[in-house]
Amino acid sequence: MSEKQPNPDPAEAPIEPLYTHPASPFLRTESTAPKHVDMPVLPSVTSTWVTYRTQIEFGLAMLAYLMILVGSVTVLQSNPNAPWRYVVAVLPVVPAALVLSIFVRALTHLNEMQKRIQVQAFGFSLGATALLTFGYGFLEGVGLPHLSWTFVLPLMAILWGVGTAIFTLRYR
Amino acid sequence: MKNRLRVLRAELDSSQAELAERLGVFAPDVNAIETGKYDPSLPLGFTIARTFNRHIEEIDGHRPVPEHRLG
Repeated sequence: MSEKQPNPDPAEAPIEPLYTHPASPFLRTESTAPKHVDMPVLPSVTSTWVTYRTQIEFGLAMLAYLMILVGSVTVLQSNPNAPWRYVVAVLPVVPAALVLSIFVRALTHLNEMQKRIQVQAFGFSLGATALLTFGYGFLEGVGLPHLSWTFVLPLMAILWGVGTAIFTLRYR
Repeated sequence: MKNRLRVLRAELDSSQAELAERLGVFAPDVNAIETGKYDPSLPLGFTIARTFNRHIEEIDGHRPVPEHRLG
């Protein structure tokens, strides 16, 4: 009956298979990647298109309107009796309608205060234009020169601008 | 409509422009609301109340502010 002695020879020691292989997943390793990388703070750039989309579209539509208007007038002057003159004469209304649609869409993006100002400005413009044209109609009856109907739209636009200024100042 | 917006804003030491930016409106709009020239819509009214972390009745100047909310 002999006491069991621990074997001093390491070659005889039991092998722990988990740690013997150099690629063992149980080996603790240090990553060579940096722990924290400072990301550059990118400046927030708002595109000109986003900020001024309505203004750009409005300007382009007005440019188209002017070009078609000049072209239409030029063509009509050289072909005053052509059968298609009515179609050419009314062509500038198409870009004008485009301006109107851009304008109406821009209205939906206003905040509630601006919308209220616009409603009041439109009311002012509508009423003032109606009164001015109505009054001038009577004056024409007693001999003032007849003015073209195309003056109505510019008059309305100018009064709308005046109304916007008035009602904006009123809320200051 | 009379309201306590200017008082509440002064308590926070905030400018009209700062408040306007948080509410998504323009500074003159805040001034118009404070001076009672313009009554905000219900959504904007609730946004104002949330901004000040108060009940909407406390923004509007008509109802007495409950004592426990004056703190």
